Amino acid sequence: MHMSDALVSPAVAVGMYALSSACAGTSIKKLSVSADAPKLPTMAVSAALVFAGQMVNYTIPGTGSSGHICGGVLLAALLGPYAGFLSLAAILAIQCLFFADGGIMALGANMWNMGFYSCVAAYFLIWRPIIASAKGNPKNTRTRIIIASILSSVVSLQFGAFSVVLETSLSGITELPFGAFVMLMQPIHLAIGLLEGVITASVLVFVYESRKELIKDIPENDSKDQKRTFAQVIAILAILVLFTGGGLSLLASSNPDGLEWSLFGNAENGYASNMSLDEDNFGVTGELTQMAGVIQERTAFLPDYGFKQSESQAGTAISGIIGSGIVAIAAVLLWIICRRRIKK
Amino acid sequence: MPDFDSAINELRLLDDISGKDSFIHRIHPVAKLITTIIYILITMSFDKYSLSGLMAMFLYPIFVFSSSGLSMKNGLYKLRYVLPLICLVGIFNPFFDKESLFNIGMISVSGGTMSMLTMVAKGVLCLLSSYAFVATTAMDSCCAGLRRLGVPNLIVALFLMTYRYVFVLIDELSNMLIAYRLRAPEHKGIHISAWGSFLGQLLIRSMDRAEELYNSMELRGFEGDFRYAGCRRLERSDILYMLILIATFVMARYINIARVIGGLFV
Amino acid sequence: MIRVDSVTVKYDNENEAVSNISFSIMEKEAVGLIGANGAGKSTIMKAMLGLVPFAGSIHVENIEVVRDNIRKIRRKLGYVLQNSDNQMFMPTVIEDMMFGPLNYGHSHEEAEKIADQALIQMGIENLKYRHNHKLSGGEKRMAAIACVLAMRPRILLMDEPTSALDPYNRKIVIDRINEIDRTKIISSHDLDMIMDTCSRVILLSEGKIVADGNAQEILTDKALLEKNHLELPLRITRG
Repeated sequence: MHMSDALVSPAVAVGMYALSSACAGTSIKKLSVSADAPKLPTMAVSAALVFAGQMVNYTIPGTGSSGHICGGVLLAALLGPYAGFLSLAAILAIQCLFFADGGIMALGANMWNMGFYSCVAAYFLIWRPIIASAKGNPKNTRTRIIIASILSSVVSLQFGAFSVVLETSLSGITELPFGAFVMLMQPIHLAIGLLEGVITASVLVFVYESRKELIKDIPENDSKDQKRTFAQVIAILAILVLFTGGGLSLLASSNPDGLEWSLFGNAENGYASNMSLDEDNFGVTGELTQMAGVIQERTAFLPDYGFKQSESQAGTAISGIIGSGIVAIAAVLLWIICRRRIKK
Repeated sequence: MPDFDSAINELRLLDDISGKDSFIHRIHPVAKLITTIIYILITMSFDKYSLSGLMAMFLYPIFVFSSSGLSMKNGLYKLRYVLPLICLVGIFNPFFDKESLFNIGMISVSGGTMSMLTMVAKGVLCLLSSYAFVATTAMDSCCAGLRRLGVPNLIVALFLMTYRYVFVLIDELSNMLIAYRLRAPEHKGIHISAWGSFLGQLLIRSMDRAEELYNSMELRGFEGDFRYAGCRRLERSDILYMLILIATFVMARYINIARVIGGLFV
Repeated sequence: MIRVDSVTVKYDNENEAVSNISFSIMEKEAVGLIGANGAGKSTIMKAMLGLVPFAGSIHVENIEVVRDNIRKIRRKLGYVLQNSDNQMFMPTVIEDMMFGPLNYGHSHEEAEKIADQALIQMGIENLKYRHNHKLSGGEKRMAAIACVLAMRPRILLMDEPTSALDPYNRKIVIDRINEIDRTKIISSHDLDMIMDTCSRVILLSEGKIVADGNAQEILTDKALLEKNHLELPLRITRG
């Protein structure tokens, strides 16, 4: 999910840098006053572990394909939110500055999209409430870990993907209407998030069973619970996630403009013009944004993503079909090229 | 797991290349970083239809690649990570922006096509310039540069130590993967039954390692303040390098060099 | 120089890693700590460094190893870890070597000078600017010892300095150790190496001292060594 420099405008890039630096600054401050903050080598070795772990392929059962992990939730569970965020930020910075993966200007955005949600937000909103609520009555810790990891991963990846869409749209780079872009990104990242969650859960359960003191917030006096098998827990969760995910996407697809409206203010004016206004405030030269604004106003804000001139239903269908066809061809081409290069 | 091996080789390769010596390698990291950032900012600020204007910007990466002996192929190979998202975003432009911009013979080129091509070109340029920076700057001098730019001590220390242990852990992981593959030659990746224990084992061992590491730091007088060896000063040649390049970028931004040259022949 | 008085270390509430051990070490002595796996060799070293809590008392040059003195104690002791990767945490050799001196308040120039001297002492000036992750096993070990020497310790503690080295590199490490003119405590299973480097041997078994005395005598006592899961040094076996 590394964003390239080509997808963010300078204003958005600088804004995201500001957000991520603020988060890093707060983290450093919190760590310096915290008594049980992880030590520097622990952070470094955990970050190195996740860095190396990101390169391992995991076979997805029943599909023959394989996936990777990103590791944000894992880091937060081991190090806590602040040290976790810094470690993930370090991983991303090293990938960017020393291995040229991910853009230098997009680094701020990448840290936010991948680090903030999985380490900070998911930790406080999901991980800790689920794990630490067991303090008085420490039961089912194992199950709690599985649920917390999967939920944290899924939710943080959804937010991460949404941020990618938001940043790209704000940058005025794509003609793709916001709603359609969201519909394209969220389902893909639902699957990625589930995989990430299950792998994270497996690793954490393994660590819990051999060295539970390594995981944050595990109550000390917890008793060994009756073992629900992994498959059972995942089945329950999958159903839950599918229901909520399906519900949400139904909601979003029936009323995508509502989403835009809520994000960009008055829909009457079209979000494109609002955007260029925002960018003016950021201090970007007017010529470019104005031009982008004019063109987007004319093209981007189309109901149901049809052609502008022909407002028929056929237009919608054709654009959908051609679009998906081209995406498929591009995907196949890309796959072939990458495969061939790897084989060499 | 050929992916893992090739990823490791790529890391090692880049680590090797960045430690080499050339005129570009010797430029101060801060000068190179600032040049790269300004290059990216200027590239991104080009108009979304201005493909011809961008053409001149290709000269910078070509200059760095050729004068520091980098392989263009290795640089372009990195594109496979960033291109999918760019394509995903750009592929729709021709369908939404159908206004014809100009005609080449019979074919009319629409705004969307141009903006898509421009976006891809920008992606390639940004990547090549980042790669040019990364491959000509050794990690320790880059960290020294970051410190000079005011990045907090703790963060730079974290970079240094993480980078060091990435290579240690990669060695361990690849040994574990060899052991895994020898016993499961048919598997393309880690089977679900080993998802937890594979990384989990290494994780527990690594935590013990971190503890020993901390001891070793304490035994050498570490008390929370990370101290480094120094970094050389910015010299006149570094500043000159930076200023000349930035001036060139700015010129290329306001004068469409390709069009000017083309105009000479038409 | 070092006085260990009835020291006991527990690794959990019941089991003792080291129980009621006493010995003392003179200045410039080279002492080998030998014993099977889990005999307590590393533990006793860690106790001297104040890395593990213990009962009893340890004095280093008449300063007691307690929390308040830990800084002073650690300036006197140099500890070479068994795993050099855990010892060398900086990207390059020179940065690693300067880490200690810089922490002890030396200026950059002084620190570099001290590091240079240690590099020369170990004969590895060529490694100065090399990256730690690109060193071979032998080079890494030499650099790790040089790192500790750059701290200018009065006493050198080494944990298995020759483990996982090929015969050639092992020989070099032994020669360099012998050239270091300081009090040395070396823990190892490599009894040939102990024979080459130490004049006195302390044999540990299950956390207790079984024998303490002249290296030649203990290392040639076949019955004693075999009883404690060790073997005669190869050169003795071969005659």
